Amino acid sequence: MITDATKPVSAVSLRNASVPGRLHDVSLELGPGRLIGLLGPNGSGKSTLLQVAAGLLATSGEVRWSGRDVEEIAAPERARQVAWVPQEARFEFGFPVRGVVQQGRYAHGDDEVGVDAALARLDLEALARRPVNALSGGERQRVLLARALVTAAPVQLWDEPLAPLDPRHGLEVLMLAKELTKAGGTVVISLHDLRMAHCLDEVLVLAGGELKAAGRPDDVLTAELLRDVFGVKARMGETLILELP
Amino acid sequence: MTAMPFIKHDAARDWFLPAMVLLLFVLAVASLASGEVGMTPARLWAGLTGADEVASTIIWQLRLPRVITALLVGSALSTGGLVMQAYFRNSLASPDLLGVSSGSAAGAVVAISAGWTAIGLWVLPITAVVGAAVATFGVLALAKRGASSERLLLAGVALNALLGAVTSYVLSTGVVLYERNAQLLFWLLGGLEDRTWLHVWAALPVVAAVVLVWPLGRQMDLLSLGEREAQSLGVEVRGLRRRMLVLATVLAATATAVAGIVGFVGLVVPHAFRLAVGPEHRRLVPLCVVGGATFVLACDLAGRMAGGLRLGIVTALVGGPFFLWLLRRRA
Repeated sequence: MITDATKPVSAVSLRNASVPGRLHDVSLELGPGRLIGLLGPNGSGKSTLLQVAAGLLATSGEVRWSGRDVEEIAAPERARQVAWVPQEARFEFGFPVRGVVQQGRYAHGDDEVGVDAALARLDLEALARRPVNALSGGERQRVLLARALVTAAPVQLWDEPLAPLDPRHGLEVLMLAKELTKAGGTVVISLHDLRMAHCLDEVLVLAGGELKAAGRPDDVLTAELLRDVFGVKARMGETLILELP
Repeated sequence: MTAMPFIKHDAARDWFLPAMVLLLFVLAVASLASGEVGMTPARLWAGLTGADEVASTIIWQLRLPRVITALLVGSALSTGGLVMQAYFRNSLASPDLLGVSSGSAAGAVVAISAGWTAIGLWVLPITAVVGAAVATFGVLALAKRGASSERLLLAGVALNALLGAVTSYVLSTGVVLYERNAQLLFWLLGGLEDRTWLHVWAALPVVAAVVLVWPLGRQMDLLSLGEREAQSLGVEVRGLRRRMLVLATVLAATATAVAGIVGFVGLVVPHAFRLAVGPEHRRLVPLCVVGGATFVLACDLAGRMAGGLRLGIVTALVGGPFFLWLLRRRA
């Protein structure tokens, strides 16, 4: 068992982060204890931003985790502090679902702590012994989320986790994110469904690789911004509302 | 609705490795005993211990080096294939399909035709490694890691054609030296005829490489599901990738340097075991080391019993249909 004397990371900050052609001079602060939504049209740099924040993509600016330069943190400790869920994963090999989820414990000495709980939490118990490459897109997404969950990392960066999920699992994942932030964690999710925005503590709006706006959803998501950034006309009205029973 | 496959419980397949070791032992004894001079178990034993002088010469000078070379070549090709498959995250990657074997054959052929082998036996493995490295970098340039099967295989087709042309050119310009050409042809067909203790020594890097691959199993599991994902889960991906690439190249090149191009071993063996015990590399590495040796030894023995079929021909006869079946299955 690896003991970790270092303080858990509570906030991720970017200063003048740029990735040529994908992200331009972005400075922001993520967390702590907040559920943050990352919005923006296709190709606006959401995935790039999440990977930069996760320390997985080189940037010309600065990425700090609770004040420490991410470049100076070794890979296993990074894995215990910040978890990242890719937008989609191509699984060539048929590892069993449980085995894939357990990989989240690699940086913790490859133990099995929390694996069964994570499988239960993401409704994967029945699939635990199935090969991961035989699952549907939504099921695969839940496997990736469960793997991120077992890392017990205080900062969770999820790239479009809701897109492939059915409504019920989508709401459950949002609830999970809420719980993690209530417990002091930071969760950042990129998403397209603006109707989910009211669930978030904060939104960041990207367009063309630049940060256009940041703040509380009600303040940020104005009709003007939606028109400018997404090219849509926003109108409030009666709509279908889904909640967990 | 079709039933989704369940993965068999791990422990149910624990007998695989001991069974493979036993099979290997049986095949090794059979290989030592069979040949133009057939041997009873008693004579085999007398030969091994030196009690029977004729048998002793046959076994120690002719059959044992061939058997050991077969084991090392088999382990090298299947383990090299396994590492390449994890590296490229593609179960169709293997030294021969990607042109790495052709690269080392081209390196070996150039060394032979230039007469460099007169300098010393060590020249051949080195030029083979250089040729393999050139091919590996070629594949990397043509198909990125995690590239689609189509792209990867097309890169292999291109490199095989290119490096094959180099070899053919060397062959076609060096007609004068008949003996040298016979040696060159050997590399192209792949075989274990006339292997001596020198070849066994030349193949020893395989042992070192296998020992170095052994502890990478868990990391290869993570890498085989995505590079960035592995990095985010705590794997030092850059160092791991470099090690895997060097080890796979050395394994494929050493095998080719002592036995020529022996196709399909690196594809068939890891694949068969993956179907049998699942994709976990900590299980697959030992199985590929032992199973690859077993497979090559079995193919060599079968070829000898069929009247002297070359090893490369036998593995192709087994591996070709298997490969086609795999392609059909994936489609």
